[in-house]
Amino acid sequence: MTSIRLKDYEPIVGEQIIEELYLLAERLRGRRVKMVNSTAIGGGVAEILHRLVPLLNELGIQTQWEVIKGGEDFFVVTKKIHNALHGEPISLSPRMKEILLEVSRENLKNSNLDQDVIVIHDPQPIMYIEAKERAHAKWVWRCHIDISNPNQDVWDFMKGYVEQYDTAIFSSPRFSKRLPITQFLFFPSIDPLSDKNRELEPEFIDQVFERFHIPRDKPVITQISRFDRLKDPVGVIKAYRMAKRYVDCRLVLAGGGASDDPEGEVVLEEVRREAEGDPDVHILLLPSSSPLEINALQRGSNLILQKSIREGFGLTVAEALWKRKLVIGSAVGGIPVQIIPNFTGVLVYSIEGTAYQIRYLLSHPEIAKRLSEFGHEYVKEEFLITRKLRRYLLLFHTLDHLGERIIYV
Amino acid sequence: MNQNPFYFYTSSNLVELTGEKANNLGELVTLLKRCTGSSIFYHVFQSYRDRHFAIEKYHSDFAQWISTSLDEEALAERLGSLDVRDFTTIRSLRESMVKMIEDHLDRYPQCKTRESRTPFFFCQSISIVMPTKYIAWNLEDFYQIIEKIGIRSVHYHLIEARLRLGIHSNDFSHWIRYSLQKERLAKRIEDIDIYLHTLEEIRKKILQYVKEEMVPR
Repeated sequence: MTSIRLKDYEPIVGEQIIEELYLLAERLRGRRVKMVNSTAIGGGVAEILHRLVPLLNELGIQTQWEVIKGGEDFFVVTKKIHNALHGEPISLSPRMKEILLEVSRENLKNSNLDQDVIVIHDPQPIMYIEAKERAHAKWVWRCHIDISNPNQDVWDFMKGYVEQYDTAIFSSPRFSKRLPITQFLFFPSIDPLSDKNRELEPEFIDQVFERFHIPRDKPVITQISRFDRLKDPVGVIKAYRMAKRYVDCRLVLAGGGASDDPEGEVVLEEVRREAEGDPDVHILLLPSSSPLEINALQRGSNLILQKSIREGFGLTVAEALWKRKLVIGSAVGGIPVQIIPNFTGVLVYSIEGTAYQIRYLLSHPEIAKRLSEFGHEYVKEEFLITRKLRRYLLLFHTLDHLGERIIYV
Repeated sequence: MNQNPFYFYTSSNLVELTGEKANNLGELVTLLKRCTGSSIFYHVFQSYRDRHFAIEKYHSDFAQWISTSLDEEALAERLGSLDVRDFTTIRSLRESMVKMIEDHLDRYPQCKTRESRTPFFFCQSISIVMPTKYIAWNLEDFYQIIEKIGIRSVHYHLIEARLRLGIHSNDFSHWIRYSLQKERLAKRIEDIDIYLHTLEEIRKKILQYVKEEMVPR
């Protein structure tokens, strides 16, 4: 990843926003922060930390990033915990709990804890809190996953640790839990300078459409998501069919590979069957990392769909809104946080509703344009990495004054 | 030179989750009665700041939710019409909102338990207030600073000030009236309809009024 400086964001967010970041950081200069997560490569958290840590350091906050090390058995257990927090009926055996503790204690042996703030990301390193007495730091648990309907036994076990933190951070109000500690709301963010989101030359966008044999002779509707029933790709095709009786259009369903997911192959087959015989439906199985292609497909489309049945935060919505694309999304997961109905996009509740909105918005491009402009501005305000940076700076100020509602710094 | 300069501050807020949520109008009014003042302040005045680039039908999160999640448009319109300029305390604002919802529930009791499409999550905010490097000693300085200062600063002095100070005015007008003795300009800024303009449009209006004041009449 190339080295990005804060100044590089100025043409995108404006001078005032960057100036405010410097102002907020001024009084935190020299503060020491440690971020702990479970992987240096791959996954959204690592992607964000790769950008965030250098930017915090640039602002004078001495930020260190530590990755918890564990064997295969540790990551098998943490994967089970992850799935259980998403609601799967899994129980943790006493041995599994021991593995978690052993790995955490082993890592702590070599970890200096002389920071002012320690931010633990997700469940894997959560037991670091055992060392709370050893450090003078404020401890923050940053939960990136949806724990609104967890497996109760596993959550009760985790909760015992969460409650020892000074504060917790969640990505959406609906993901949080009733806890005796202060909880803050941090939306996930996108990086406008990453390959997935940066501006592209129109010629490159044309090339990508040509490479995938998608003519742009009629409006193109696109859903970017893996082939998973929870993303309802078959429902998307049905909605497209209903709409196409009134407005001619093409549909692109593009998603990552399904090699590690046996069900993915089955779903892909169902999707292909549903689309059979329709040359205007384009099903693209993309390699797992194709950020520029996804970027080009989004930018070259007229409408973006995210008709999920269940969703995490659904950050693909913010990515599309950032590209000034109108998004029709289901009211699930974090999508309603990003789509304020009829203001930054359109929320739907059924296949029929999706079809109607496709018809309506393809027939009223001026309305689509207005909503997508607001969508872009809303992402600029709430979901860019610069906003995430500001939230962290505000958090660091707040940790010195927990319990106060107005803090003068 | 004026001896009482205007010090520009800016505020940012960190959103705190309270864990409280309403699934219908009955629950909303119950929670509205017992939630913190900070929660009301956030949902009526602050979350709007993050959508400052456009005029929405409703500034208040409560009105917005009642409209889009419950389809109770008449109540949403009534709540949405509450004007921040009429209130100098959160207590009086809370009482007005509660009364409006309870009157609505008296007339339409079936609304009390009708489930909303999405829950209303009560949040509250922590404001972090900081001085900026900008100080205005006179109207010329003031003009130049307003032109370039962050929009959060404008929100802080123009909108948040009313409840912070419990005044029917704002910081800008207060300084212009009492330190610069320019009553007409102070009044013109007070009269800007904050519901019909984006914060950037409000900035332009202030600049226009200040410019007109600086030109000898």
